[in-house]
Amino acid sequence: MTAKLETAMEQIEIATGVLVVGGGMTGVATALEVARQGYPVTLIEAGEKVGPAAESRPRTGLPDARRLQDMAARLAQTDGIEVLTATRLDAAAGVAGDFKVWLSTAEDVLERRVGAIVVATEFDTAPLYDGYGLTPGGAVIGQSELEQRLAGDPGSFSGKTVAFVAGFAQSGNPMVMQRIFHCVKALQDAGAAGVYVYVGDLKVADDGLEREYRTGRDRGAIYFKLKEAPAIAASGAQVVIGFHDPVVRQQIEVTADCLVVEESLGVGAQCADLAAILRIDIGPRGFLQSDNIYRFPVATNREGIFVAGASREVRSLPWALADARNAALQVAEVLGDGTRLVPRDKAVVDIGKCTFCLTCYRCCPHGAIYWLSENKPVISPVACQACGICASECPMDAIQIGGFTDDLIRGQIAAKLAQVNGDPAIVAFCCQNSALPAGEMAATFRMSVPAGLRTIQVPCAGKIDLQYILDAFVSGADGVLVMACHPGNCKSERGNTYASWRVEDAQRLIAGAGLEPERLRFATLAANMGTDFKAIVVDMDQKIRELGKSRLH
Amino acid sequence: MIVAERKPLEEIESMLKGYRRVLTVGCGTCVAVCLAGGEKEVGILNAELQIARKLDENPIELGAACVERQCDMEFLDELQGMVDQYDAILSMACGAGVQFMAERFEDVPVFPAVDTTFIGANRDVGWYEEKCRACGTCVLGMTAGICPVTMCAKGLFNGPCGGTNNGYCEIGNDQPCAWYRIYERLARQGRLEQIMEIHPANEWRNQTPRTLVQAAYRKRKELAAS
Ligand code: SF4
Ligand code: SF4
Ligand code: SF4
Ligand code: SF4
Repeated sequence: MTAKLETAMEQIEIATGVLVVGGGMTGVATALEVARQGYPVTLIEAGEKVGPAAESRPRTGLPDARRLQDMAARLAQTDGIEVLTATRLDAAAGVAGDFKVWLSTAEDVLERRVGAIVVATEFDTAPLYDGYGLTPGGAVIGQSELEQRLAGDPGSFSGKTVAFVAGFAQSGNPMVMQRIFHCVKALQDAGAAGVYVYVGDLKVADDGLEREYRTGRDRGAIYFKLKEAPAIAASGAQVVIGFHDPVVRQQIEVTADCLVVEESLGVGAQCADLAAILRIDIGPRGFLQSDNIYRFPVATNREGIFVAGASREVRSLPWALADARNAALQVAEVLGDGTRLVPRDKAVVDIGKCTFCLTCYRCCPHGAIYWLSENKPVISPVACQACGICASECPMDAIQIGGFTDDLIRGQIAAKLAQVNGDPAIVAFCCQNSALPAGEMAATFRMSVPAGLRTIQVPCAGKIDLQYILDAFVSGADGVLVMACHPGNCKSERGNTYASWRVEDAQRLIAGAGLEPERLRFATLAANMGTDFKAIVVDMDQKIRELGKSRLH
Repeated sequence: MIVAERKPLEEIESMLKGYRRVLTVGCGTCVAVCLAGGEKEVGILNAELQIARKLDENPIELGAACVERQCDMEFLDELQGMVDQYDAILSMACGAGVQFMAERFEDVPVFPAVDTTFIGANRDVGWYEEKCRACGTCVLGMTAGICPVTMCAKGLFNGPCGGTNNGYCEIGNDQPCAWYRIYERLARQGRLEQIMEIHPANEWRNQTPRTLVQAAYRKRKELAAS
């Protein structure tokens, strides 16, 4: 077995350069970590500067500001790091181990070949004036503006009263509170006369936040936790903030010289473009990652492309820096020593049959397919996860998956249905990531499954071809089950979705041909659901007994 | 490319009612690309037919083949040895392919398995949009690359008509007005004066089936004809 496997392997060369997109601290840390492992890095930043200046976290009171400066300075001293500022990623082609990227600088478009890409962009902030019915100007400013003023001329706040409002216009995020705590400290250091913080939804569940909150309060900052936003009346240079205190039963009013409005911490403006250029999935809130239980936190749907820090979630700096280290480890995992052994037959395109319709390219959830003008589509053995979605969608049956070729599977269907005894013959196509282990679990626990059950293993439900389903019926199956992972749990993102569409289509087709569509069923389950597996197959057996044997025997 | 749609099984079945041995032939070009008649669709259609006929207790023997293009005689020649074993051919190509097939194998009934729908472009997997009516007088040069014959409900060469309605056609708000789009794009490209040029009406009457001989091959055709 092993020897046979080895002959089917080939060694390919992998580009070891790494592109890091984003020059904030997450990007800087990623670049340093990757370079430390010996891979050349190109770090690009859309703005003019890298390091703390490109960081979207508070510019004021950043803990360890010195340490971060030093980190950024190390970029220039480290061999093998190329830093390009005012530079954007314009286009990308290729696959893990062999990406070609085009970077547009102020003057030029540069081309680089890299083996892996890490997106480490920052988040965007926007003051939520509307949420408080306020217009900016005069005494009303946003959090970022305060931070800028504090960084430039902290003395201007000496003797001033400053109030903050947060947690009324959006649900709380520890990062919002952290920015406020840092500013409270900076204001107190600058000799502000009074600091008032009005919060709705207060979240301090992050490293050291509780302590920062207490320190500020002990130094005289006053916090009000309210159910509703206070009434705010802005008039020129001053703002009056009032609310009714239910405990002391009276109206409490504060006049401040400056009212600071909280800001949303949203997905960075570049993210949508980067997702389109890199063909990576976007999560529910626009961040660069869809949930997938099978993947490492920094991984994406594409091999060799990683996301770190605020490109995937807004959290504290220490968390982002840990993400950067994680991403660097994953990069090393892909690049290794610059060579890789890959199976020769993972997914192979028969160029003679292919009509170059691009269906495979458009359907592959891992972006593993590209094309060469002279060579039609090419499937990268590094990026391909052998899910078989492309093979099942190809209109010319031109793609074969190693170990799961059409001939092998169709042969299995015919063989398993060659002898049909008295029990209903049920063919269950089982995804090897969920239904197959669930079935094995049912067997291990000696749960009794119907005698006529015939399971056929597939690498992913996405490999279950419409033809296989029809074949099973033609060969005399009384019922067919297509068993996939739960929605949102497919290792290949959309294999279960494709399978469910095909089942619907097949139901339509068999109904048109005169067969009861109930003989075909789509079900989802997880690997540890032996009992559910049993329930599904028993239920199917029951249903088939009610319908009677297929008239196609 | 040509876009086609698989005919309902019922219709195909009724055409094949009296035939017991049928060869289904896919076309590996346009109809394969639009996922209607390539090798995969041949297999699926055959499975459907097999199920339906068996349930009707009128079993059918089906053969499967797929040629590069049914609109080229040379590729149809590949079927030469096979066809005699069948009493009918089911072609999954567009109307051009079906007719060439019927011409090539004149003694065998040839039936179409798809409805040829339009000349279109591929927006996404399985999603096609009509783009061209093959009118024979392409005006795209003066219409900013938007076909008024296809896109305008009246096929106007000089538009818009009075019904244009905030970017939409008077036939309904799902249908963008072709001439509004033409205007917008000409304006964007700074060549709006072209919309003022009157284009003479096309001669739609008495149209006969067209033959096209590319200029470089006219001599070749004359030679073949002589
Ligand atoms: S889906 Fe099949 S026919 Fe289409 S490009 Fe891919 S391999 Fe070629
Ligand atoms: S088998 Fe799956 S991962 Fe591999 S190329 Fe096909 S669709 Fe992409
Ligand atoms: S026969 Fe029709 S569908 Fe086939 S290649 Fe020719 S034009 Fe396209
Ligand atoms: S409204 Fe526009 S698209 Fe509709 S008929 Fe008139 S010109 Fe043509």
